[in-house]
Amino acid sequence: MVWKKNDEPPHPEPTPAAPPRPAVPTPSPAQAGGPTSSHEPPRRTDRATIGASIFIKGDLSGEEDLVIEGRVEGKVDLKQNNVTVGKNGKVKADVSGRVVTIEGEVTGNVFAREQAILRQSGAINGNIQAPRVILEDGSRFKGSIDMETPKELGGLNRERDLRPETSHLEANRAEVAGVKAGA
Amino acid sequence: MSWFSPRSSSPRKEQQGRVQTVAEPEVHRSLALAALFDDIRGRKVQVLDLGPALGSNVEFLSQFGCKLFIEDLYAALATRTPSGDGELAGPEFFAEFLAIPEETRFDVIFAWDLFNYLQRKELGHFAARLSRHCDRGARLFALISILKTMPAQPFRFKIQDEQHLIYERRTSTERPSPRYAPLEVTDIFKGFRVDRSFLLRHGIQEFLLVKD
Repeated sequence: MVWKKNDEPPHPEPTPAAPPRPAVPTPSPAQAGGPTSSHEPPRRTDRATIGASIFIKGDLSGEEDLVIEGRVEGKVDLKQNNVTVGKNGKVKADVSGRVVTIEGEVTGNVFAREQAILRQSGAINGNIQAPRVILEDGSRFKGSIDMETPKELGGLNRERDLRPETSHLEANRAEVAGVKAGA
Repeated sequence: MSWFSPRSSSPRKEQQGRVQTVAEPEVHRSLALAALFDDIRGRKVQVLDLGPALGSNVEFLSQFGCKLFIEDLYAALATRTPSGDGELAGPEFFAEFLAIPEETRFDVIFAWDLFNYLQRKELGHFAARLSRHCDRGARLFALISILKTMPAQPFRFKIQDEQHLIYERRTSTERPSPRYAPLEVTDIFKGFRVDRSFLLRHGIQEFLLVKD
């Protein structure tokens, strides 16, 4: 096609300024619905905290990270998220999470999909089941540690197939069961 | 607090929760440890560690894919024998503090230098309790002092690699050593035999007992 002078597009007419619109929050890239974000769940970066003065009896589950600084009796089940028992935290329960970090006291079994960390200030009276376990010197631990590799865990239902055959905590389990029944 | 307790504040020093040893840790070659790891290589084993929970040991043992039980008997003895002598730990004591489920069986037991801190009668009760959880072929690793005196508190042992142990001494004070002889050990640990024994230059005799 040969360019001709008449083909030149006309300059756009200046338009009056658009009337001011009410301010709205600018959507974040995730909210804007990009090609990837439309298929992914919104990323959760928040974490819930159970404060030092809180006492919970019963089961805890959810889809965000959890920090426990208070007391929990029952069951903590956040398999896809990180669970931290803070220095003030006292948990009488089985704790399941992706990365489970213990800085306080846990009486119960710990199941971590990726890693279990027992900090120097922490204490566990129970069994740990995780592919990787870190015990800091000075921490207190009584129980067993089963470090299964992810390959070994493939296709298994952790809770069903890898439930410890034995536990040092039968009495505690019974106590927790009693709590749950009453909760 | 007793001489036994790994969490004692005296004579061991603690600063901000960190354990301080009274001397620089010593690294010694361990021939029995090397033999033990050769024996269990490639097997999924159940291990009982009778010492305190140490991250380095847990990390090292993780390469063997073992299931590790930790029962800090040193700490338990601290609650039972305040002065380290006098009142003996009887069968009830070991039943209470080694509250291992009856059906559990161990392939490897790390007794470390525990024998040195148990009187002969106590050692008998201890052996009887452990035997219940060992099938034929189970291995027990123990370190016995052959010197006249030994540290008043047990060492903390860290596995550096398959052939080396780190000895962390926690007190400068000494106490008489029982100096159990190999025949005495097999007499106490009925059902076990001394599979291998190595006398090391720093005054420790290593024992690898095997359940018959």
